[in-house]
Amino acid sequence: MSAILLHPTAVPNDLSLTAVDADEIFGAELVAKAERYERFLYFDWALAQIALLATLVLYARRGAAFARESAAGPIGTGMLLGMLGLAIVWLVQLPFRLAAHWWDRRYGLTDLDYLTWVYDDWALLGAAFLSICIALLIVMGLARWLGERWWLPGVAVFVGIAALFTFVAPYLDFTTKRLADETLVAAAERYEQELGISDIPIRVEVVSEDTDQANAYAYGFGPSRRVVLWDTILEDPFSSGGQKVVLAHELAHHSEEHLPKGIGWFALFAVPGAWILMRATRGRGGMGAPQAVPVALLVVAAMQLAAAPAGNWVSRRMEAEADWKALQVTEDPSALEDVMVGLAETSLGDPDPPGWIQLLLGTHPSLADRVAMARAWKAQNGR
Amino acid sequence: MVRGENLQRSRLTVFFRLFLAIPHLVWLALWGFAAFVVSFILWLAVLIEGKAPEILHDFVGGYVRYGTHVGAYVFLAANPYPGFRGKPGYPVDLEIDPPERQSRWTGFFRLFLALPAMLLATALGGGFSYGSPGGSWGSAGGDEYGAWWAASVAGGGATAAALLCWFYALARGRAPSGLRDLIAYALGYGAQTGGYLLLLTGRYPSSDPALAEPYAELPEHPVRIVVTDELERSRLTVLFRLLLAIPHFVWLALWSVAAFFAAIAAWFVALVTGLVPLSLHRFLAAYVRYATHVIAYVYAVGRKFPGFTGRAGSYGIDVEIDPPIRQSRWATLFRLFLAIPAFVVSGALDGVLLVVAFLGWWYALVRGRMPEGLRNLGAFGLRYTAQTYAYLFLLTDRYPHGAPVLEGRHEVEERLLAPVPRDAF
Repeated sequence: MSAILLHPTAVPNDLSLTAVDADEIFGAELVAKAERYERFLYFDWALAQIALLATLVLYARRGAAFARESAAGPIGTGMLLGMLGLAIVWLVQLPFRLAAHWWDRRYGLTDLDYLTWVYDDWALLGAAFLSICIALLIVMGLARWLGERWWLPGVAVFVGIAALFTFVAPYLDFTTKRLADETLVAAAERYEQELGISDIPIRVEVVSEDTDQANAYAYGFGPSRRVVLWDTILEDPFSSGGQKVVLAHELAHHSEEHLPKGIGWFALFAVPGAWILMRATRGRGGMGAPQAVPVALLVVAAMQLAAAPAGNWVSRRMEAEADWKALQVTEDPSALEDVMVGLAETSLGDPDPPGWIQLLLGTHPSLADRVAMARAWKAQNGR
Repeated sequence: MVRGENLQRSRLTVFFRLFLAIPHLVWLALWGFAAFVVSFILWLAVLIEGKAPEILHDFVGGYVRYGTHVGAYVFLAANPYPGFRGKPGYPVDLEIDPPERQSRWTGFFRLFLALPAMLLATALGGGFSYGSPGGSWGSAGGDEYGAWWAASVAGGGATAAALLCWFYALARGRAPSGLRDLIAYALGYGAQTGGYLLLLTGRYPSSDPALAEPYAELPEHPVRIVVTDELERSRLTVLFRLLLAIPHFVWLALWSVAAFFAAIAAWFVALVTGLVPLSLHRFLAAYVRYATHVIAYVYAVGRKFPGFTGRAGSYGIDVEIDPPIRQSRWATLFRLFLAIPAFVVSGALDGVLLVVAFLGWWYALVRGRMPEGLRNLGAFGLRYTAQTYAYLFLLTDRYPHGAPVLEGRHEVEERLLAPVPRDAF
């Protein structure tokens, strides 16, 4: 299955990227500023992860005692223990997230005040509670029904849910608006034709009131496919050529079926993950017993951290492919370079981050690598 | 708080009650102004001597008593026109102890310490003693239900009960005993709050409905609340209480849709046969129980995370519901309209429950336990709401009873011998 998922990539296998001088492309001052900005966040993240694991280790040992706070049956009690685990993690990580928000404000990347930020964070915790309850309802329900064999049908159910959500999510979007720029709309139609896809709505999400950072994303699959551009990418410092490259990049995610492939990768990771979970919770009576839930939280968090390098590698590969396809349809490598410079300016992303950071957090190739790809395409195509 | 047994009301004085009370309201305002000035001297006396001078204590005590008389008259908890001197002997009356030694520290911070009690007294609508009968903090909702709810919450429990009493007394020439007792209880709590605020006593007001048990009677009812819950609270679950209830909100919403259709089916069957089928009765009873469990948990009235089935006896704040019996077809036919007055009171008690949740949440977060008085007041609100929904869903044809007590008199006589807990709100 991994061979099927990996095989078809548009990036030539023999493509060699020549290292670029980040100072020359992005400017030494910007690079230094971005490094200063990111360095704090790296350490903040690392400390938050240590705190997370330490908290979950403690919760795995002591958390089952909270079962006395439940009058519900085993599954309801499991839900309570799951939610309390997330609540404790939320509390422990709050200072780290607050520090990151303070840092973002200090560098002018967000205008969101602290009260609104905490409220939003609180609301997100509510969504996390609901998600973990649904997940535990499925896992514990299956485990109480099938015993230790729950993990295989469990994976099938979760993959089905992931596919359902990916498909349905675009239809639940009531916040974006239609792209009004006729030039970009015409360009999108042309790129769709060249990429062999059609009728993909291009939407705009207004975020400029809260942040100057730029972003765009593709979501949905089949008839629900969509591309969303943040309105910040439609403004300075992004040129018309740069906006077209971004559009082509997102359309390429759809033409290369990256979202269905992402679900396939999720399935691939979920099978051993669910098996490990089954084995790890055996000592606490298996996933059918609420006492196993605190251990399960620890195992899932540890597996997520352990799987991050592989998951990020897959993600970087897909992003590189989308970049390559975007270059092929726009034939404008300098525009891609301009976009990378713009992203460094607006988001203060470190153009050339340390290797361990790329390994653990790099879902996209570094900005320097993406510029190198643009130059490699230019060299290969003689433009 | 003491109250007389007479429920008879003169229709003429009931009709003009608010206008008849105008001289008293003017006099109450003037006396109130004087009492607040005197209470400042009382405050200085408590700070210096640790005790209030008797003459000033009597003056302020007279004001609090008079405020209760006027409140009882306006809210129809009593029938005779009260005297202007606040003398003892009115059918709804107060007994005020002589001055006692008070802590100088709590005396110094009295105004701030009294704020939670004032908030609760305002929600109960019995704050005549300190000039706030009912609240003004309800906000009008956008729809018709929202407006009803806002109106009933804004007025406070006593105001909503008084409004219904007014119609009832005009029609029947007497006050309903349950609502009369609810008003007397609210006035009693308001008087305790006024007494505490104005330094008549150093004892914090108790909202425990047990205080109403000497004079309020709860008749036999097919829907009863059973409180077996502990008072201890896990601070962590209190802190995240609202979010922890999210799965229950989802389940309750789904169950409510099914209950809506089940209630319609039960209505049709009861209209034809005069009896709700046992299966529908069980389903709707489980729904009412489950909703009570969930609300109890959200409002910190209950300690534990409830189950999802609404099983009888599964939760510390539980509802007992008797099996179905034959019901009047006429009462069934007009059930939705007949339930409206109960929903007015229930809406006002929702406001009280919100205040209970707010105060209880903070208290439990700090102390790791729920004050018994506040918990029991919350349980009373839940009992009334459960009885209201049970009536609406045809689980019983007995109307909800407004007496602010949890158990029938014969069950509480032993409990009355126990002292009132000091930490009760």
